[in-house]
Amino acid sequence: MAEGKKFYLTKKGLEGFKKEYETLKDLRIAKTKGKVPKIWESEDLNPEYLSFQEDLNFLETRIAELENIFKNACLIIHPLKKELNVVNLGATVRVKVGEEKDEFTIVGTLEAKPSLGKISNESPVGMALLGHKVGDEVLISSPIKTIYKIKKIKYN
Amino acid sequence: MKNFVDFFHEIGKLKGKPRRSWVINNIKNPESIAEHTFRAAIMAWILSRKKKNFNIEKVLKIALIHDLCEIYAGDTTPYDSILPRNKKKRAEMMKTWPRFSNSEKKRIAREKYNKEKKALEKLISKLPVDLKKEIKNLWLDYEKGLTAEGRFFRQMDRLENFLQDMEYWKKYKKPPQGPWWLWAREFFDDPILLEIIREMDNKFHKHKKPRI
Repeated sequence: MAEGKKFYLTKKGLEGFKKEYETLKDLRIAKTKGKVPKIWESEDLNPEYLSFQEDLNFLETRIAELENIFKNACLIIHPLKKELNVVNLGATVRVKVGEEKDEFTIVGTLEAKPSLGKISNESPVGMALLGHKVGDEVLISSPIKTIYKIKKIKYN
Repeated sequence: MKNFVDFFHEIGKLKGKPRRSWVINNIKNPESIAEHTFRAAIMAWILSRKKKNFNIEKVLKIALIHDLCEIYAGDTTPYDSILPRNKKKRAEMMKTWPRFSNSEKKRIAREKYNKEKKALEKLISKLPVDLKKEIKNLWLDYEKGLTAEGRFFRQMDRLENFLQDMEYWKKYKKPPQGPWWLWAREFFDDPILLEIIREMDNKFHKHKKPRI
């Protein structure tokens, strides 16, 4: 695991990891004591955790991974009012790409899921959009030159 | 032992399953899913050596199992839900990168995940319990990016895809390159893989100035 690297996380993302961490620790205790954990009665339990519980090695690896994330986590803070018109980490940006519309949320690498519209601040497009304002045209030079025109910026 | 033989026989079917991206682009004799897995595993091994504190064995296992679910679930592309039957219209569509609303993106991802999970569970159902759990957890790691190795291979997998795309483009002048570059610049963020893409661009497009 990449130790020492800063992980930029949204508040929601960090809360999700914390919740998962508590669940996995509960599963670990239950596993070592041979008990059925209380969390199993909870409707919040992600059913995928059940297979982690049956594989102690995997469970330990994920717990260590989460601990490393917490150690190096950097919370993305809501920008000041005067900076709300600038694309920064955590911004949801509505763009026009050529003739098509799209919407991206700029997140850190751990939360990036491009297929769900969450793109990494370290990806070329994520990086290029940072610092721009509504109305800006960001030129991306791929074999077909593409302009990302920023239509709207919002922060949740 | 019968269950092992049945499993080996099933996964062998990936040798004869062509990758759908190339089929919809009318590529002659397209590579199979097994061929993609072979090179993705080698690339993952070699490039993982550049990572610190990396579990290469885990990366290799993820590489080997990541597409096993496609035996039953089939291979998918981002174009599938909007693909026209008409060949001319289809070729025209390949010149653009498909964009969806956020709710459509979520629906497509959820349906794909559920279909593939079900397929994988069916495939491994008769394997010994420990092996079944290991394969399932490795696949979850790849799908959800649970560890650095899973997150790395998720991009590595697409890098092999991008390399094959450039090789076909060099040979057949298709698929159209524009959409691939649009996608790549939104998708990749691993610095080692971005460096490899710049080298690939230089080799196949003779483009020395960085475009990614």
